[in-house]
Amino acid sequence: MKRLLSFLLYGLLPFASVAATATDPRKVLVQAIAEEDAAKQVDLVKQLASSGDPLVARGLAAWRANELYLLTEADGSKVPVLLGAKADADGKMRAVRLIDAATVADAAGQPRVFRADELTAVDNNSRIRRAIKTTLDLFAITDPVPKLRRAAVVKLGQEQNAEYLPHFIESLRTEAVPDVVKALREAIALTRVSDADPIVRNAAIRELGTMRSVNSIDLLRELEKKAKADPAQFGDGISAALRSAIQDIESYQQWGNLVGTAFRGVSLSAVLLVAALGLAITFGLMGVINMAHGEVMAVGAYTTFFVQGVFGNGLLFSLLGRTVTVKGMGLTGGGFDAYFVVALAASFVTAGLVGLALERGIIRFLYKRPLESLLATWGVSLILQQVFRHTFGSANVQVDAPGFLQGSFVVSDVLFAYNRIFIIAFAGFVVFLTWALLTKTSLGLQIRAVMQNRTMASCVGVRTDRVNMMTFAFGSGLAGMAGACMTQIANVGPGLGQNYIIDCFMVVVLGGVGNLVGTISASGGVGVANQILEPWLGAVLGKITVLTAIILFLQWRPNGLFVTRSRSLDG
Amino acid sequence: MKPSFPKIIAGAAAGLLAFAATAAETVKVGVLHSLSGTMAISETSLKDVLLFTFDEINKKGGVLGKMIEPVVVDPASNWPLFAEKAEQLLVKDKVSVVFGCWTSVSRKSCLPVFEKENGLLFYPVQYEGEELSKNIFYTAEAVNQQAIPPVDYMLSEGKKKFYLLGSDYVYPRTTNKILKKYLKSKGIPDSDIEEIYTPFGHTDYQTIVASIKKFSAGGSACIISTLNGDTNVPFFKEFANAGLTSENCPVVSFSISEDEFRGLPAKQLAGHLGCWTYFMSIKTPENQKFVGDFLSWVKAPKVTGVDYTVSGVDPKGRVTCSPMNLSRMGVYLWKQAVEKAGTFDVDKVRDALTGQKFKGPVCEVTMQANHHLVNDVFIGETLPTGQFKVIKTFKGVAGEPFSEKFLK
Repeated sequence: MKRLLSFLLYGLLPFASVAATATDPRKVLVQAIAEEDAAKQVDLVKQLASSGDPLVARGLAAWRANELYLLTEADGSKVPVLLGAKADADGKMRAVRLIDAATVADAAGQPRVFRADELTAVDNNSRIRRAIKTTLDLFAITDPVPKLRRAAVVKLGQEQNAEYLPHFIESLRTEAVPDVVKALREAIALTRVSDADPIVRNAAIRELGTMRSVNSIDLLRELEKKAKADPAQFGDGISAALRSAIQDIESYQQWGNLVGTAFRGVSLSAVLLVAALGLAITFGLMGVINMAHGEVMAVGAYTTFFVQGVFGNGLLFSLLGRTVTVKGMGLTGGGFDAYFVVALAASFVTAGLVGLALERGIIRFLYKRPLESLLATWGVSLILQQVFRHTFGSANVQVDAPGFLQGSFVVSDVLFAYNRIFIIAFAGFVVFLTWALLTKTSLGLQIRAVMQNRTMASCVGVRTDRVNMMTFAFGSGLAGMAGACMTQIANVGPGLGQNYIIDCFMVVVLGGVGNLVGTISASGGVGVANQILEPWLGAVLGKITVLTAIILFLQWRPNGLFVTRSRSLDG
Repeated sequence: MKPSFPKIIAGAAAGLLAFAATAAETVKVGVLHSLSGTMAISETSLKDVLLFTFDEINKKGGVLGKMIEPVVVDPASNWPLFAEKAEQLLVKDKVSVVFGCWTSVSRKSCLPVFEKENGLLFYPVQYEGEELSKNIFYTAEAVNQQAIPPVDYMLSEGKKKFYLLGSDYVYPRTTNKILKKYLKSKGIPDSDIEEIYTPFGHTDYQTIVASIKKFSAGGSACIISTLNGDTNVPFFKEFANAGLTSENCPVVSFSISEDEFRGLPAKQLAGHLGCWTYFMSIKTPENQKFVGDFLSWVKAPKVTGVDYTVSGVDPKGRVTCSPMNLSRMGVYLWKQAVEKAGTFDVDKVRDALTGQKFKGPVCEVTMQANHHLVNDVFIGETLPTGQFKVIKTFKGVAGEPFSEKFLK
């Protein structure tokens, strides 16, 4: 045992002495923080790349996130400290000195606690944050989380820094996760493209081609230009290697574009569908030219804002000139994220109630007079907009995305954003809900009966008045849920409804008034066409082209894609 | 307690004096900003800061001993109405000077009126240049003061590809045309510049963000954004969802100042850049006084010395920003020129304006013979609080409206 110990001691001694003579990374970091000159700061941070000290890594990460603080010691000197993860009841945390990992204590040896806002955060800027990111990336090549490992490798590969090459090769030997292996191979190839040896270089270029490395195409193109301008410098074979690699990547990109465009088209279609479905019921089935549809959506959006306030930090609004304060529950994390689910239900209910009031108060008198219903609902839409302005202010309000709707995932270089996927799924859900209600319930049967022939339905004992009311409320409720969805991708303000009303009418009319299948196919067609045209023609001209196409189509088929005979259309 | 007799006398005298001051001669000054319609959100703040400045000046005795009497009109974000209201101010109200306009189209709409009636207009909002009227003074940032410095900064940061994204109207299109020429002169090839426009109120930024993602794959790209107003929200939401950040692809926005942040989710824009000649966060004693005075003024708004009721000032969450500062400095420059000329006569004031210096909240500015200012330019990084942190300062940049003069 003793021998083992002494062996360990002697064995470790040389390392220990090396560590002692080399600059202490923690000291370097503290020096970097105190440094005034931005360029020197960056150099110092870069020196830390090989230190591997977890405290340094924590310090750097905190610095980048504005969470590293300067504490004034008793002697007036300022030392950088990290705050602990656990906060006490007052939100105070223990502080750890960056230089020696010691907890800051008072004279009696008791740990002192601080609130983050009592301390000054160490300044940072985008340059220093980039340098920190590079340094942390080198740390991160060995991170236990594969996703972070991969991000680090991709980033470092771009730098084509030969110093990193041994790190990559070392990691590649032990790496098991396919994504990271791919990233490592890409990084190695990228770095080798700048190698002095033409054989290594050309092999690396071909490798990038076979790997379909999208990230390196800019670099390859630039190299091709240089090689053309000065063939002598790059030697034989490079042009052929570059050409084939670029072609490989370009054809791969075209596939990616195709899939990407398809996804974006479907996602825009889903947005249109969700927005228009309520109108497909109130206007399409019932024949009410409902200009207030957009504002009913806005009711849903403001409901979402309200629910968010209740779950989060509360909110202020004015009601009939008085300021009302709603105290929030102050939830964070998953509890807060749940607000969105509640908000979806709540916006269905509130918008449904608004629809109910609208139907009882105004629309039921106007079923036989569609033109007046247009004017009346338009008036209602103006009134509602002013109500929003007076209640929540004329500026837009902010709705934060719940955690599960932020970010995206990538499949072979095509991006799928979570909020878009959610809206596609939600569109499917709403369509299913509507279909089930209309075809599987007795209310649905009555609705269809009333829509087809009100007098006859009334004769056989259907309470048409009640059915109208329920249908309009249901359509409004759907519009409210659409408004809740829109908070995730658009602005919430008094003008929200105005931004969507034209698109909604366009989709419903194009699909054929009175036909849900028509609405679905029309939104699909308009969405996909828009996304296909936009990269070619730009957003402005793309939209104009789609509108022109719709007008021409309606000239040819005035009743839209699908023709349904219904009460309202028969007059 | 019963007031003593001398006190009553003193009070009456003070009252009389105040009355005398009110009755004392006033000088009418026009305020031409939209107080309703789409632009009201931005322009109302400028009306507020102008009234605040008149109050500041009147408290110190006015201009040439005359109290400033504001004449506020509302052109309602309606461009032809700007010309009508300008005419009304100059012909009917006979104002000595007008402070106003935000959008370039509104300025261009009332420019002929100012030239016909020989009026005087101070224009405070960053614009595309290529215009110079003898009747307009542009305290606003010209293109070489707002667009060129951040591009230089991006080039110095090693950015090689530029994505020019803007709303589809005159300011972004002209600015980007100039920027493209400038980038070409710096050796950036056409293939590395992308120019994209979206309509006002555009919400679907999927395609654009996907193309940015592709464009920035090499890591050396940046975005120069002239997107206006609330279209920034869907853009930045989509941008963040695509995993793009200020570190791998920074966005420089020309149309977002502190005042716009009141309606934007600042958190999602944190780390991106803005470029202005003033930031609320700059810590000089003069600026702290300006910000403090303004914030307390909005709680009890009034214009001292004249019979004018201030209305429509929202005291909640107020900030100061570059167009507001430039508005205020315009008033002071005009005041100094009037005092130098000794008259309110437009031709004499115009001559006196050239060379006027004013120590503003963050630096001293000089009015040049070309009706533009020499001003400091700051590049700032957005903080989650909706403020900016200065990361680079360009001292004394001389505003130049015509691009051929600074593009060589």
